[in-house]
Amino acid sequence: MSARLEIENLRVAYGASQAVAVDRLVVEPGTLAAVVGANGAGKSTLVNAIANWSRAAPRVEGAVRMDGEDIAGRAAHEIVKRGLQLVPEGRGVFMGLTVEENLREGAPSDAGPGRRSYSIDDVYELFPRLRERRSTAGGSLSGGERQMLAVGRALRMAPKSLLLDEPSIGLAPRFVALLLRTIRSLVDDGLTVLLVEQNVRAAMEVTDVVHLLERGRLIASGPVDEMRDDPRIVEAYLGGGHG
Amino acid sequence: MNLLQQVVNGVIIGHAYALVAVGWTMLLGAARLVNFGHGQMYMVGAFVAWWFMRLTGLPYPVAVVAAVLVGALIGAVMQRLLMRLTLSRDLVSLMIVTLGFGQMLEGAAGLTFGARPQTLTSPFQSMTLHFGAIWFTVQDVILVVATLVVFLALRLLLNATKFGVAVRMVAEDPVLTRLAGIDIARVYMGIFAFEGAAVAFAATLVAPRTPILTSMGFDQVVTTFVVVVLGGIGSVGGSYVAGLSLGLFTALFGALVSPAYTTAAVFALLIAVMALRPGQLAASANFAR
Repeated sequence: MSARLEIENLRVAYGASQAVAVDRLVVEPGTLAAVVGANGAGKSTLVNAIANWSRAAPRVEGAVRMDGEDIAGRAAHEIVKRGLQLVPEGRGVFMGLTVEENLREGAPSDAGPGRRSYSIDDVYELFPRLRERRSTAGGSLSGGERQMLAVGRALRMAPKSLLLDEPSIGLAPRFVALLLRTIRSLVDDGLTVLLVEQNVRAAMEVTDVVHLLERGRLIASGPVDEMRDDPRIVEAYLGGGHG
Repeated sequence: MNLLQQVVNGVIIGHAYALVAVGWTMLLGAARLVNFGHGQMYMVGAFVAWWFMRLTGLPYPVAVVAAVLVGALIGAVMQRLLMRLTLSRDLVSLMIVTLGFGQMLEGAAGLTFGARPQTLTSPFQSMTLHFGAIWFTVQDVILVVATLVVFLALRLLLNATKFGVAVRMVAEDPVLTRLAGIDIARVYMGIFAFEGAAVAFAATLVAPRTPILTSMGFDQVVTTFVVVVLGGIGSVGGSYVAGLSLGLFTALFGALVSPAYTTAAVFALLIAVMALRPGQLAASANFAR
């Protein structure tokens, strides 16, 4: 049912400077993996490269496999059609379109085996707040509503795997908790999710696996219960509170 | 002098300006692109209709359809040729390349259709309607109605259809649009095909009013540019109002002041508008309104 996401020898460079060099990163089907790290560690560059999507057009090499099929190098919209969906950092919604118009574009209901399609109503079930705001322009939404809409837009494409880039950024704590809980429930329903987060503590609450990214390289990986006690994470991100 | 007649003329010419400009408005509003070959595409639309009628002997309405199809094809081919420039929105290069494209069309049309003035004959041009002191032709009525239909249909398309929403997505953020699984190159192609079809349609309706020449394209570029800029760059409703206003302005200026200085006056108006409200000339995200 769920997709296995496998990244191998991924190298991303802007001009002469290499931003990301990840040898191997696997997200098992129906699990949630979090990539944590400091600002500028290359987290966004990593997920953007997996989706072959960027505003800066970096040079990307390496393999991205979903259920064994190499999708690296395909056009961004082709990757979306194959079921790998990115929710980009910041504004992932169209400001000039209403909530409902933002949700209009979606995968066909017979998107393919192993893909759960979401109707606009399904998205409203998941985020009732969006139903209330259905005729509001994306630009008039609060940060939390905007992020819900971004996730809703992504679900409309019937993804097998979801890449989330900093969904918690700029959100009030209660929105962060609500959003991450919803994402966890999607994972429990079978979605494969790779989450990039600066809010390490919040990510730890919901994730199965943690990867620590530093200067574009994965320096530690493991199940969340082991990583909680990893000194590199404790010192830098959890302030020793879990020691 | 009959002032009311001048107002009627102005309304008719104004609708002609608006209809000729609608393709460029869409191009600019949705794709943030320019096409300085627009006027030559107008000329080709008129000549294709004329040539089609001469070769086949089929009636004028069939020639209109033929010209629209050829126009859409020219637009689509143009987008294929300019793919890289359109995706990177390299405006300066596009301006120069489309200007060259227009010159190519003009040269090819000169070779194919000859340098002599021709007449695109519409049976509706000779049917006149008189109401007291004012008069106009059935062709004028068709032009005004067609313009209203095109503008209303475009508004409906942009606001209520899936393709229209995709166009507005591309207008706001083409890079983000890719993440909705949309091949933006195809959306751009649709926009260019619309531009080509719309200007050819406008040409077939407007051209029967005057003799047609293969060198008439440049004037159309200039007028269209004025309409698009006055309308608030890329606003659909704005360019309708701008076309209508410009039509009334030229008709009344020609009648009350001097027909010889009408073009100069239009440019003075353009400069004045650009100087007075430059902030509002930026293409807005709400171009579909």
